[in-house]
Amino acid sequence: MSRGTLVYAAQRLILITLTALVVSSIVFIGVHQLPGNALASERRNNPASEAALLHHYHLDLPWPQQYLLWLQGLSHGDLGESLVNFGTQITPLLLRESQTSITLGLAAVLITVGVGMTLGVLAAIRQNTWVDYVASTSAVIGYSVPSFVWAFLLILLTVSGFYAWSGGQIYEDIGWGKPEQIPVPALALGLPYAAIVARLTRASMLEVIRQDYVRTAWAKGLKARVVILRHALRNALIPVVSILGPLVTGIITGSVVIEFLFGIPGLGKEFVSSILARDYNIVIGVFTFYAALVGLANLIVDLLYPVLDPRIRY
Amino acid sequence: MNPGETLGIVGESGSGKSITALSILNLVPEPGKISGGQILFKNRDVVSMTSDELLDYRGADVAMIFQDPMTSLNPVLRVGFQIEEAMQAHKRFDTQQAKARVIPLLERVRIPSPGQRARDFPHQFSGGMRQRAMIAMGLANEPALLIADEPTTALDVTVQAQILELLKELNRELGTAIILISHNVAVIASLCTRVIVMYSGRVVESGPTRQVFDHPEHPYTWALLRSVPRVDERRHERLVSIEGLPPDLSRMPTGCKFHPRCQFKVERCSRDEPPLEGVAPNQDARCWVLMRNTTAEARARLR
Amino acid sequence: MATVPTTIEAAEELLETGAADLPEHVTLWQDAWARLRQNRMAVIGLVIIGVFLVTALLSLVWTPYPTWRQALGPTYQTPSLIHPMGLDDYGRDILSRVMGGAAIALTVGVGASLVASMIGIALGMLAGFYRGKIDVIISTLINISYGVPDLLIALILVVLIGRGVGNIILAISITAWLGMARLVRGQTLSLREREFVEAARSIGTPNLKILTRHILPNALGPIVVQATYLVPAAIIFEAFLSLLGLGVPPPAPSWGRMASEGYKALQLAPHIVLAPCAALSLTVLAFNWVGDGLRDAIDPRMRR
Repeated sequence: MSRGTLVYAAQRLILITLTALVVSSIVFIGVHQLPGNALASERRNNPASEAALLHHYHLDLPWPQQYLLWLQGLSHGDLGESLVNFGTQITPLLLRESQTSITLGLAAVLITVGVGMTLGVLAAIRQNTWVDYVASTSAVIGYSVPSFVWAFLLILLTVSGFYAWSGGQIYEDIGWGKPEQIPVPALALGLPYAAIVARLTRASMLEVIRQDYVRTAWAKGLKARVVILRHALRNALIPVVSILGPLVTGIITGSVVIEFLFGIPGLGKEFVSSILARDYNIVIGVFTFYAALVGLANLIVDLLYPVLDPRIRY
Repeated sequence: MNPGETLGIVGESGSGKSITALSILNLVPEPGKISGGQILFKNRDVVSMTSDELLDYRGADVAMIFQDPMTSLNPVLRVGFQIEEAMQAHKRFDTQQAKARVIPLLERVRIPSPGQRARDFPHQFSGGMRQRAMIAMGLANEPALLIADEPTTALDVTVQAQILELLKELNRELGTAIILISHNVAVIASLCTRVIVMYSGRVVESGPTRQVFDHPEHPYTWALLRSVPRVDERRHERLVSIEGLPPDLSRMPTGCKFHPRCQFKVERCSRDEPPLEGVAPNQDARCWVLMRNTTAEARARLR
Repeated sequence: MATVPTTIEAAEELLETGAADLPEHVTLWQDAWARLRQNRMAVIGLVIIGVFLVTALLSLVWTPYPTWRQALGPTYQTPSLIHPMGLDDYGRDILSRVMGGAAIALTVGVGASLVASMIGIALGMLAGFYRGKIDVIISTLINISYGVPDLLIALILVVLIGRGVGNIILAISITAWLGMARLVRGQTLSLREREFVEAARSIGTPNLKILTRHILPNALGPIVVQATYLVPAAIIFEAFLSLLGLGVPPPAPSWGRMASEGYKALQLAPHIVLAPCAALSLTVLAFNWVGDGLRDAIDPRMRR
């Protein structure tokens, strides 16, 4: 990594911190304008204990003061305490859950890029044959079918399908915790985006295999595999990387739904249950985490550019 | 084509020079294909080679360098690696030798500080340097034949001269035969001992370069020569361009393909296509008329 | 760089050529329509959309059974002659509910696309036309919003403002306008340098008129394509919200809610989930086909 790249990465990290701060501040202020909260609705039976609770969460202060206290906590990484589960610290909870979400997200990104590029390359090198038509058609279908529908189909296939096929020997359990439980939700999450990657890879490959340097590679007597993978694909990847940013954001969005469906204890599931329980402290915390995750993911994508294309320098 | 020979192929754009060159490597781009005939290399027919034989032949027996050095090198791979890769594709050198040969090759094509330059990417090279790197890549497997398709067209004039000088040197010192393809008569004249003139995909004249250029027998060759300025021109002739355009391949004229643009055509030219026949020792032409039979007045009219 | 006319007459003359774009646009759209009709997938897509539209309209006045009536027969009943798609976990007729779901999906999809497009066009044109501070503010807003998953913003908004169809449309539009604004900003930035805009400005045409008469018509092609793609995106988005239990409130038969309710019995009675999922995927696919067709028809150079 050159010095320029480090400076660039440092600048971006500052920007990511600022964005996360702005986003969580907007949510904090927005949420604190609301009448009512998780406490107000449920613990009205004893006025004295309610007052104590409100005081515990600083909810008895005017919101600008609450905001300052919250910022103070945030400055040393403290996102406060859950409104519903008394005494639960949010930062360690979300750190643990974000590991789950990152594992799922990375698996989905790998599937997306792997499946998408394979289909795209096959379609391009067999342009206008049945391989191309099948790959191109399945691409449009692929991204028209939402991730949760893929999830249902995959569950039916793996759980019921394997069960029936093996005569009751294999029972795929839906859930989280075992490595073999990762592929199904990751596949459901990644397939719609794999279709987009396939389409882009195909277009990009078709452009590249007509380039002079690919003809040079053929003229050198290189094997087809080497020409396609080393010379054509490496160049075709460059425009494909440009959609990895939006793709990562999309996968994070999709993971909210997929984690909810599969009962995966990640940030997305936490967000949904907290918002339903009006545990706004956690909601604000999840926003902060997601803003940081999206920023970091995009930074990593941008740092990939100079690796793939030596003409790009930061 | 004999070992160590230098052959020039000259003609306007669209006359089939580049396709001829790509055919020699059996690399004609889709949807084109070689529909008939033979391309013989050391008594083996390239057209009927299996794909494995082809892979071994391309880049090792016959290497090719292309017109535009700016786009002919892969932008994401290091220059040294692209040369090394040409050797690793064939079994002429083992991995160690291949690595070790890169720098001497770059040195051979006069690239300064080759050790450092081998680690550069193509965008860090100038146009002339890239063409030198292409030539180094072409020479990597010590091919018997190097085909250079318009190797200097995209370069500026001083660099052109340097590249031609380099090719000449390599031919003399390594004995590599060279086919030089160009639309530029002067480039051919400076390097090649023998020349083929092409028009509309056909050879219209061939022979020793000096002889053909001094005494062209085909009207197309004659007209082509008159359309370029010559430094050593004693007579002060006007430059004349050839009227009209080369024929559209989908609407080929009958008879001699050049007759619609020919100033000396006779009635027969539009009917029958002339064969390529000997017109002088070592010199063939495809013409019913031949320039030696035209009158000085007829030629003078065109001045 | 555009040449700036020096006299009023020259400006008016140039303006003529700009205005002459208008009748040309008619033929441009006719051309696009002709090309669209040649595109088999786009035509199939239009037919599918037409069928769903008719179904949706029909469901407003008639469905085989009321969408909310429970216990029409045994719960989880598989498809039969009188209930072609079977019954759900409350014994409601799934076909009727899928029909009702079409109305919700199309209302939300088209509604959100329209609202988001209007916001996006307005802000994009402002940013691209006035540049400077306005552009900085709008672009910063766009960039910050891109830093947060849109679903989270929509979810929190739905919790804040409630779950009616109008509120759902608003919650989706609040993030869906970003892409449109980016597109329109770029178009406006390049169009404002064109001769006919310079000409209009030089004879004192008010900015609003320049924006609506000269810039908007010329940017309409890509806007229409983008708006078409926004419809299926919004339909999926609504399904996400419903699936998480924060979409259009029950007993309205939203496809996402049907899938969410049927999920509990996925192994036992997959038809409950598959019927709304098939309807949803088919609608989205149809809109994507039409979007692809429109893109190719409006700008043939973009064809892949």
